[in-house]
Amino acid sequence: MSFDGKVLFCEHRPNNETKLGKVEKLKQAGTHPQVLVRADAVTKIYRSRMGESVEALAPTTLDIHEGEFLSLIGPSGCGKSTFLRILAGLETLSGGKLEWRDGAPTKGSDVGFVFQEPVLLPWLSILDNVRFPLDVFRTPKNEGNERARAMLALVGLGAFEKALPKELSGGMRQRAAIARALVYRPRIVLMDEPFGALDLLTRDRMNDELLRIKNETGSTIVFVTHSIEEAAYLSDRVAVMSARPGRISALHDLDLGPERSEAIKDDPRFYQWLSTLRKELR
Amino acid sequence: MIRTLLTLAGFILAWWGLVVLFDVPSYLVPSPWVLAEKFWFLTTQAALFSHVPVTLMEIVVGFVIGTFVGVASAVLFTRFPMVEVVLNPLIIFIQTAPKIAIAPLLLLWLGLGATPKIVLVAIVSFFPVLSNMLSALRSIDPNYGALAKILKMNALQRLWRIELPQAMPLLFAGMKVGVTLAVTAAVIGELMGARAGLGYLLSLGQETADVSLVLVAVLLLSLIGYLLYVALGAVEKRLLGWHESRSGALSNVEG
Repeated sequence: MSFDGKVLFCEHRPNNETKLGKVEKLKQAGTHPQVLVRADAVTKIYRSRMGESVEALAPTTLDIHEGEFLSLIGPSGCGKSTFLRILAGLETLSGGKLEWRDGAPTKGSDVGFVFQEPVLLPWLSILDNVRFPLDVFRTPKNEGNERARAMLALVGLGAFEKALPKELSGGMRQRAAIARALVYRPRIVLMDEPFGALDLLTRDRMNDELLRIKNETGSTIVFVTHSIEEAAYLSDRVAVMSARPGRISALHDLDLGPERSEAIKDDPRFYQWLSTLRKELR
Repeated sequence: MIRTLLTLAGFILAWWGLVVLFDVPSYLVPSPWVLAEKFWFLTTQAALFSHVPVTLMEIVVGFVIGTFVGVASAVLFTRFPMVEVVLNPLIIFIQTAPKIAIAPLLLLWLGLGATPKIVLVAIVSFFPVLSNMLSALRSIDPNYGALAKILKMNALQRLWRIELPQAMPLLFAGMKVGVTLAVTAAVIGELMGARAGLGYLLSLGQETADVSLVLVAVLLLSLIGYLLYVALGAVEKRLLGWHESRSGALSNVEG
């Protein structure tokens, strides 16, 4: 698939800083980021029972690059979850198309999805829950156990493989859900406000965990959130969305570098991004 | 268990005491001792225990059929809503009809053997299983459907790996209601006409004004119902350990 490297949305810069984001750095180095999937004028129109049609998502065009962490942020009703669910194949398109670099997902192992709730199976142990997709794909049990255990170790639940979901805290359950989405190495991992139901402290810790997991797996992650700080802290790029009709109103390539840690929260550039994003969301 | 036995012992003592105290003739209310003698006589001389398996078999076979058909119908209804639209009026009609009223029909059609009783038991245990299973399947969090869709699970995998386990707690609640109804249905069937079974002994006792015989049959029927209920509870506890609402000691740990 050819890619001309054009940036599809105007990139708002908070100031005249010369620091460059991941995409621009790649461009300067002469290598364009690999587009994993391109949403081309994707729309979603719901028809209400009264026969009215509601445009949940106006024609939206967006490239998702391989290996990036892309956040979709916006008020409720801006279509961010709708867009994510379209990518996941959970919603049909009303118009436009999705162009996948390696062909449209046909296998169950193509897409990983993390919901706001853990959606674990309460009668299965944590190990069995993480192995669940592999069982569905008929992976041999030994191999499945091995991979599930490795994934549990990665998300820091190695000691809890025999526990039932109800025996774990909300944060731990969500880690298990993330492990379940990553265990089959999907092409793309979609997360729909995965930490929205957690308390702030747990959420901060989960953000760090997620960055670490992403660095180790190199997964492509599209992350829906309504937390500005979460988006700025985690993302390579942030798509700001607005409502009625749902659309992407700005797309930013954050210049905060690939290595993130608590320290970045004291960086003035981080503050500038927070205030930029906050203004755009107003 | 000990408490149950104590309650039982207290009840028997009170019964004995009242019979002795008020000098009740044993053809009206036999004392526990007279009843025990009768039980011994029936067991040794009148093949009482050839009647127990007859009734037990009708209950168990009918209940298993009713449960199976109930579960299958619920699955079918949720998969193909049209089936429910077509069948629902019929099912509501049969459900609201007093099942006892169906018994004579079944006997006329199917004879005096075990078959009409099994059918009656299946019909009465079908409904609580169906309605509980339906609400169980309908109340599954749609996120599980989304998960199944993401993993591209086929209908059978969804049913077996997600829906049935999820529905188990409500299914067992329905089965527990069903099993008590099943005992009643088997007895009603036998009372209407039978050649063997505890219900047959009941009507025999009534015709011969043998209160002891009636009481022995009633006690055995209660025992059967109780044991089936307890057995279901034991299976439930084993299968549904995950569902107990108490949460474990790790709940407050954030790792």
